[in-house]
Amino acid sequence: MDSKWACSRVPRIYWLIALIACAAGFVQVSARAQQSSAAVPDITGSWERARDASIPAQPQPPLKPQYLKEWQARLQALREANAKGQPIADRVVACLPDGMPGMMSGPFPMEILQSRGQVTIIQEAYTQVRRILHDRQQNAIDDVEPGYYGHSVGHWDGGTLIVDTVGIKENVTYQNVPHSKDMHIKERISPGPNGILRDEITIEDPSILEKPWTFTLGYRRMPDYQLLEYVCEDNREYADEKGVQQIRIPR
Amino acid sequence: MIFGKRIQRVCLGLIILSVAGTALAHHSFAVYDHTRTLNLKGTVTKWQWSNPHAYLDIDVRDSNGEVKHYTLEGTSINMLQRSGWRSNMIKAGDQVTAVAAPLLNGEPGGLLLEITLASGEKKELPVPAANTFKRNPEQD
Repeated sequence: MDSKWACSRVPRIYWLIALIACAAGFVQVSARAQQSSAAVPDITGSWERARDASIPAQPQPPLKPQYLKEWQARLQALREANAKGQPIADRVVACLPDGMPGMMSGPFPMEILQSRGQVTIIQEAYTQVRRILHDRQQNAIDDVEPGYYGHSVGHWDGGTLIVDTVGIKENVTYQNVPHSKDMHIKERISPGPNGILRDEITIEDPSILEKPWTFTLGYRRMPDYQLLEYVCEDNREYADEKGVQQIRIPR
Repeated sequence: MIFGKRIQRVCLGLIILSVAGTALAHHSFAVYDHTRTLNLKGTVTKWQWSNPHAYLDIDVRDSNGEVKHYTLEGTSINMLQRSGWRSNMIKAGDQVTAVAAPLLNGEPGGLLLEITLASGEKKELPVPAANTFKRNPEQD
């Protein structure tokens, strides 16, 4: 069948309607694209943790009573061990990175890279990398292998990058706060007042927390700073048989 | 003003909690004595430029002529680089004077707070909460 013949069989009015619909759609899509790309802020570059009056103080995690008790006892044990000069060996002793959300909390600088369909965040300490994939559905938690950074999806809503992360290992904790494998880390990343970039983090974990735990981290730009390499190598600190931090002294 | 006092207590509690949280969020230097420092003049045997900590090994000769080996922990080399340090500022064989907070367990080690390099230049290390270490380098 020849196409000229096929076209000649379609009434002209249908062609006109189709053309108008296509044009309207095109205008709408390009307007949306223009609007969203115009509103997306440029956050590419190096940043360091910053305190600012616009950043609220971090509240205590709203843990369920049994977990709150365990968490408080853990903090007390850490304090007592420190006071005795026998600190309990932490992840640094074992050359382990923070994972999420700890890698967002500094104190080392981090770099944000915006590219097509992805925002990448590199934390200088331990060269930690997380990738926030745009405009896709979050995976079912059971389909994400547990890890340090999990699976992050996000999209720009005006000037705010909205992110959801799942798949964090249960032994990867932030400030010793326990979590389950079902934890979601929700983030709203946006430029705030005083040149401060804000990351409003909400931890959702209904089996551990009474309600979502929200806190905000702030960052200041580090103009011209390039992240340095960081490899954890030959740490002379070690955990003894009691889990106490010690240091190897060569004889 | 019972209500006011209660609010004050809650606020104080929150402040303590937030400070405690911050303090516990970072790697501990609790193995080191915060009340005194050692003044160690000696010969560098190794300058380990690594993360999470740099390490300085030095041989120190005491008044009896006996040599004692010390291992001094530095900060992260990234923090050192950001405050102007370079790996080649110290090398084996250099004569240096180190100010260090000693290990509480009596082992010959410490936290390196300050060093006088072979060139005579004095350099501080960017130790977090460095002001919590009381300096008295004359007490060897």
